[in-house]
Amino acid sequence: MIVDSIKIECRQVSKIFKQRGGSVQIPVLKDISISVLEKEFLVIVGPGQCGKSTLLRIMAGLETPTTGRVLLDGKEVTGPGPDRGLVFQKYTLFPWKTVMGNVEMGPKLAGMPRKKRRDLSQRYISLVGLEGFENAYPHELSGGMKQRVGIARAYANDPKVMLLDEPFGQLDAQTRYLMEQETTRIWASEKKTVVFVTNNIDEAVYLGDRIVTLEGKLPGSTANVYDVNLPRPREHTDIEFLELRHRITEETALLL
Amino acid sequence: MSDETKLKDPLSLKIIPWVSIIGFFLLWELLVRTGLVPHVLLASPSEVGRLFIDKLTNPHPDGSLLMTHAAISLAEALLGYGLALLIGIPLGLLMGWFVVAEGLARPLFEMIRPIPPVAWIPLAIFWFGIGLTGKVFIIWACAVVPCVINAYTGVRMSNPTLIQMARTYGASDWQIFMKICVPSALPMVFGGLQIALALAWTTLVAAELIAADAGLGFLITMGRRLLRPDMIVLGMLMVGLTGYIIGVIIDRIERKLTAGLERGGVSS
Amino acid sequence: MSSLVESREGALVEDKMPTMDTHRGFVIKLLHNKRFLYLISIVGFLLLWEWAALYTSYAEYMPTPWEVLKELVRVTQKKLAGKDLWGHMWASIRRVLIGFALGSAIGVPLGLLMALSRHINALVKPVFDLFKPMPPISWISLSILWFGIGEQSKIFIIVIGALVPALINSYNGIRLVDPGLYDAIRMLGANRRQQLIHVTLPAGFPALFAGLQIALSVAWGCVLAAELVGARSGLGFMIILGMNTSRPALIVGGMVVIAITAFLITYTLSKVENVVCPWKVELPQ
Repeated sequence: MIVDSIKIECRQVSKIFKQRGGSVQIPVLKDISISVLEKEFLVIVGPGQCGKSTLLRIMAGLETPTTGRVLLDGKEVTGPGPDRGLVFQKYTLFPWKTVMGNVEMGPKLAGMPRKKRRDLSQRYISLVGLEGFENAYPHELSGGMKQRVGIARAYANDPKVMLLDEPFGQLDAQTRYLMEQETTRIWASEKKTVVFVTNNIDEAVYLGDRIVTLEGKLPGSTANVYDVNLPRPREHTDIEFLELRHRITEETALLL
Repeated sequence: MSDETKLKDPLSLKIIPWVSIIGFFLLWELLVRTGLVPHVLLASPSEVGRLFIDKLTNPHPDGSLLMTHAAISLAEALLGYGLALLIGIPLGLLMGWFVVAEGLARPLFEMIRPIPPVAWIPLAIFWFGIGLTGKVFIIWACAVVPCVINAYTGVRMSNPTLIQMARTYGASDWQIFMKICVPSALPMVFGGLQIALALAWTTLVAAELIAADAGLGFLITMGRRLLRPDMIVLGMLMVGLTGYIIGVIIDRIERKLTAGLERGGVSS
Repeated sequence: MSSLVESREGALVEDKMPTMDTHRGFVIKLLHNKRFLYLISIVGFLLLWEWAALYTSYAEYMPTPWEVLKELVRVTQKKLAGKDLWGHMWASIRRVLIGFALGSAIGVPLGLLMALSRHINALVKPVFDLFKPMPPISWISLSILWFGIGEQSKIFIIVIGALVPALINSYNGIRLVDPGLYDAIRMLGANRRQQLIHVTLPAGFPALFAGLQIALSVAWGCVLAAELVGARSGLGFMIILGMNTSRPALIVGGMVVIAITAFLITYTLSKVENVVCPWKVELPQ
């Protein structure tokens, strides 16, 4: 049996936010240890304000843990970088750049010559289904389209791991379902290791290989881990789907 | 932003502003004292300070006490400002809701609007002379513009759902105006108060610089005529200080009124 | 007999005047038609003006609209203190352009630096706040004392006038950039220099441009004020001349030209803005 290697892991990560020059301390994360296997789709589920976004930011390198470490391919993460692709909840596209301009930004910063990065970006723009919109500005796009750009922008750097921070939280239910399907499709055609954060159990069961639930109060800590062995593409109405969903909902004190 | 960047302000950042201010005044004083800047061109801070004390009680050489000048300038500015509020705000509110009001008033307003405030000065002086009336007219003509614009915009931004709701209850145009449009417009109206005030003050000073026989602008002009840079600088500083103070006062009044409105439960 | 009409908001409501017959209905509707009212307003104003200028005791203070027009035409043909209308206009515009360019060239980079470096901010801001409440025109006496009545004294005022909004807006524009954008660019691998070029400057640009628009507006007001105090050419000089020589047609005519020029400047700039900033900045929620 081949043991899959660990791509990214958190070892006993804790985070305490200090405010007002150190007088106010807010513990946000406590002793989180998670291992994500190569090409695995891991979903972290938790209610609002439980620290899951902070955890993702620590994995991205935008924050540093108070204690513990994050290791990517065995090496410690010390700061942000293109080897981790981050997709933001609020899209955070560059409004002055077109779709193409946004997607090619990473390769551009790395010094890739123009033709090469245009071709590369075009490939990813097509991958996320935005062919024809290369010259559109973000304000001209719908929420779902903006998020596709966000995904393409991260993918274009060939990251080792994709980190998605509640990427569909701002979308309406219909678009959200669509984007979940699209995510599965994109991930199937170009597999990456994924850490996906959400507050929606349905979404978690639909997307994930494995689900980690966090406690519903601060400081966040891991509650349970579930293996999702359902074949893809999944149906929200399948018996096994609903059973797992029910199990998770019961075992978490979440009201989702 | 990660918390790592929210460091406590290092001590240097707390000291630098003081160093800056003190250094600035020291430099200024030294430039004049050592003669690097000729005495005809600039007065040192200490000289301005002495003049300030002196003019509190001495009407020479320009004809009035310092506070008299300030009072005159303030009176002219506030009178024109008050009139602008009195006429401009109701006009803007009415224009925002009643088609007849907008139809009749708008063309005239759009003609007045692009005229830069100071351009009114020669006409006003020609019509009214250099006394109080002329100044008040100038201030009024320029301050009325932002008042109307803000009141008008405030009414236009009223919640259309509220209006439709009132209509289904059979409210008349006038009732809707008084009960919905006007209260909704108040935040924008208050926002315009500061702008109009700053405009009024600046324009008044300009008017006094051109033609007056009293007031802070007159003091500044006199300083030039008599080759007394200390008078000029004193006038400038007083203009800045007075403008700042009335700005703060209007801000306080604004806050009290807005807070009162919120407590009174104005529907939003 | 009641009938339904479309209300202002587009809903169908009962017509409050159910017994109106068609004739009077037409008149009432006409009186509520905006375009018609505009027309009445403008025509009425012109007639009133003409009447007041000819038949009331204010006649000598009021030029008729026609007189204003004639005066303007005259100034384009004959010279006024050495220049015709276009010459005076150019004199004013030239001063504005120079002062605005200088003021922005100082204000924008300074505002940028203040926003980027807390130390520079701590150094400059206190002195700047000290000067800020003083209206640019209040410097005129000092300026004339230093530079005489020539071009420099006026340009000095304009520089001060343009500097303040240019600085404030570029300062705020940079400071208020959505921090998420920095996160995004850092994740894409940008170093400090790249962050500055690819996020700070473009993100701050719309606010900066707005600041330039304000600065130009202020500059225009400043040049006029400076010309009113002491000048030998320019549009401000023109209307002061009208005042000093009791030529109201010249005063009003000059005001009209000034207003039109100011309007054209603002209009052109807003068109430029559409070209230069085709994106809409979504304010961080």
